[in-house]
Amino acid sequence: MNTQEYISSGIVESYVLGLLSEEERKEFEQVCSQHPEVQEARTAFELSLEKQAMENAIAPPAQLRNKIFSAISSDTAAPADKTVQPRETPVKKMTNWWKYAAAASVLLLAGSIYWNIDLSKKNKVLEGNYNNTVAELGDLKKDLSILQQNPGVKMAAMNGQPVSPASFTTVYWDTTSQDVYLMINNLPKPASDQQYQLWAFLNGQPVDMGLIEITEKPLQLYRLKKAQQAEAFAITLEKRNRGDISKPGGQVYVLGKL
Amino acid sequence: MNLKSTYSEQELVFSLQQRDEKAFGYLYDNYSGALFGIVNGIVTDKETASDVLQNVFVNIWKKIDSYDSTKGRLFTWMLNIARNAAIDEIRSKGYRDKQKNQPIADTGEIPGAVAAPVTEDVGLRKVLGKLKGELRVLVDMSYFQGFTHEEISKVLNIPLGTVKTRIRSALTQLRTMIQ
Repeated sequence: MNTQEYISSGIVESYVLGLLSEEERKEFEQVCSQHPEVQEARTAFELSLEKQAMENAIAPPAQLRNKIFSAISSDTAAPADKTVQPRETPVKKMTNWWKYAAAASVLLLAGSIYWNIDLSKKNKVLEGNYNNTVAELGDLKKDLSILQQNPGVKMAAMNGQPVSPASFTTVYWDTTSQDVYLMINNLPKPASDQQYQLWAFLNGQPVDMGLIEITEKPLQLYRLKKAQQAEAFAITLEKRNRGDISKPGGQVYVLGKL
Repeated sequence: MNLKSTYSEQELVFSLQQRDEKAFGYLYDNYSGALFGIVNGIVTDKETASDVLQNVFVNIWKKIDSYDSTKGRLFTWMLNIARNAAIDEIRSKGYRDKQKNQPIADTGEIPGAVAAPVTEDVGLRKVLGKLKGELRVLVDMSYFQGFTHEEISKVLNIPLGTVKTRIRSALTQLRTMIQ
């Protein structure tokens, strides 16, 4: 094996950053144990990563230290609390035993009923969540297959602009059918009187590609207007019901060139 | 009573495995800022990021026995705990609900006018910004959003092998950038 080539293939960084599959990870560890120079490269990258993280440290809130310490202290203290209960001597007076027994059984019954109702409520919530997730996954798979069946799909990553640098969306443009799909990876939720609008740029001029009604589903694909030609795509935040929607009026949130 | 002000990595790991709270305090004081920076690169909401960081440290305390020094440095191990916790958080339903409830400020509607930025690109994200578009998307999806290579290959309709080679080439570039 050419270790230099192996080292510069990016596998070292993928391993350290936790981006390898289980199998690839084991393989890398194997190679590492046999080739000291691979291990050296790993340590070197770890050190520069650590240095980089140290230089970009952000002080956490001051009260967090105490919160964490009380969390770990209660964690360690818990098992030590077990004390042995002295065994009780048998009750000598037996006359009223059935009254206590009856009272205890009523309590037990009440407890059991409550517990059952509570469990069934929790079950319903879980079932609802599960069904939603399955439905969302089904939608997503359907959307993906639309893209996968079309080899002529172009993609534009749209990056956040100064007003919202963390924003990020992706446009998939099927050049044969001219369909345009938008995936919202991250956009702030608009206020109720605002909505996003997609624009295609042709000869430097914005062309309306449609208003976007954001749903809560993650990684949802939105189908927008067809585009025959486009050099770039952008999303602006606009006032709802602003009348003429053929020209952008609001700020640009994301922008991506093809 | 601070008998020990610095630890070597082995001493630190050994003391932590002995459940030494003083060593844990040292760990917190030295690394909480760096790990908070990592978490903040993924979870942008400060309050949530601080909850995530709390879980990260509790997990470090609980799982320190499983740390294996032959597989990497202590910091790398902690970094990956922090990254995974942050990604779990942004993928949770609770986080998505919280995000959607945040109204965005109505700023004077002048394109290009810079309102106070909501978040600033820090740390690895800032470095990431120097990569060219496509590589940047791949690293962002895999490192900051936690998609597997298979998922990326499906979503972007790029062959799995290509996803892998591109991510690796992007990471090699990242290495030279942070050196």
